[in-house]
Amino acid sequence: MHDIGVRETINLFGLTFNIETLKMTWLAMGIVILIACLATRNLKVVPQGWQNFVEMIILWLHDQIDAMMGRRGRMLAPFIVGLFMFLLASNLIGLVPLMASPTNDLNTTLGLALLVVTIVHVLGLYFKGGHYIAHFFQPTPVFVVINMIEEIAKPITLAFRLFGNILAGEILIIVLLKLMPIWMPIPSVCWLAFSIFISCVQAVIFTMLSMAYLANAVKEDHAE
Amino acid sequence: MIEINATIIAQILNFLILVVLLRAVAYKPVARLLQQRSDKIKGDIDKAEADRKAAEQTLEQYKVQLADAHKKAQEIVDKAALTARQEHDAAVEETRKEIERMKQTAQAEIESERNRAFEDMKSQIVTLSLAAAGKVVSKNIDTKENDKLVNDFIAKLDKDMFADLK
Repeated sequence: MHDIGVRETINLFGLTFNIETLKMTWLAMGIVILIACLATRNLKVVPQGWQNFVEMIILWLHDQIDAMMGRRGRMLAPFIVGLFMFLLASNLIGLVPLMASPTNDLNTTLGLALLVVTIVHVLGLYFKGGHYIAHFFQPTPVFVVINMIEEIAKPITLAFRLFGNILAGEILIIVLLKLMPIWMPIPSVCWLAFSIFISCVQAVIFTMLSMAYLANAVKEDHAE
Repeated sequence: MIEINATIIAQILNFLILVVLLRAVAYKPVARLLQQRSDKIKGDIDKAEADRKAAEQTLEQYKVQLADAHKKAQEIVDKAALTARQEHDAAVEETRKEIERMKQTAQAEIESERNRAFEDMKSQIVTLSLAAAGKVVSKNIDTKENDKLVNDFIAKLDKDMFADLK
């Protein structure tokens, strides 16, 4: 049983890394790649096994991308598919005993959130140029303050929502195991089941919000 | 608990690596396959549509051909029936004529036979009558007068007795 909030760290090149988060991230990445390999090892026109699973995710995300982002959205599809599958794997491995979610570390969630907003701004400037900067000053230049707060709030809310949900879930798993005697597993089991649901929902929410933010930058404005 | 350190950079790099790997391993092949599948389905649907149209055309052709064949068959049957009736009529007519001819021949034969029989009988009656008369009538009557008498008698006999025979 690890102590909550105390993270093992290592120092490398004068930088501090949370080694457990990194290990778990690599594990989650490995699982995602493994599923991808299993799915694509023997691709068939009539899908079978894991191919169904990966196709289902890709088709679903394609639908969402087409609906939210329009024509240019498809080029971001690999990023969004990767994001969803990584978050799903990350959130779920934390529920396995002795393991932790990479997403219970703010470094992971904030890193992803910052990556998303960086892509949003870069693509916004690339596709819309002056219009993208101008839209921060709409409807009047005074609104630039509110718009800036909104832009800063986006990655912070994105990161903290996922981080908080996953960390809280894992803390409560530990707390329930400590509170309840060993012959009374029902609350623990219920909470675990709920955590599985939360893990999936949070992966969906993070992905959907990222897509919504990206859509702002990528979608063609009809007004233009 | 909440502490931002260099892990954030490592995580961004990790994730980018994952996206690149996943794009190569899974996304591209699956997206290509999905495209292929939708192309195939579209192609299959188009082909099915084309096949259906071709089948309809063939069916239409067959219907026309069948109708033609029916018409032709009917014509042949009608013609055959007509020919048969004509032949039948001709045969009947022929037979009728044959019968008629045979009847006429038979009647002619009967007629001539009867005449012959009548002549025969007449001559025999004459002879017999002469013989009888010769015996009955004696020498004072000459032969010429005798003949006349007998012939008158025969003629009378003819008229009276054989009238129904004629």
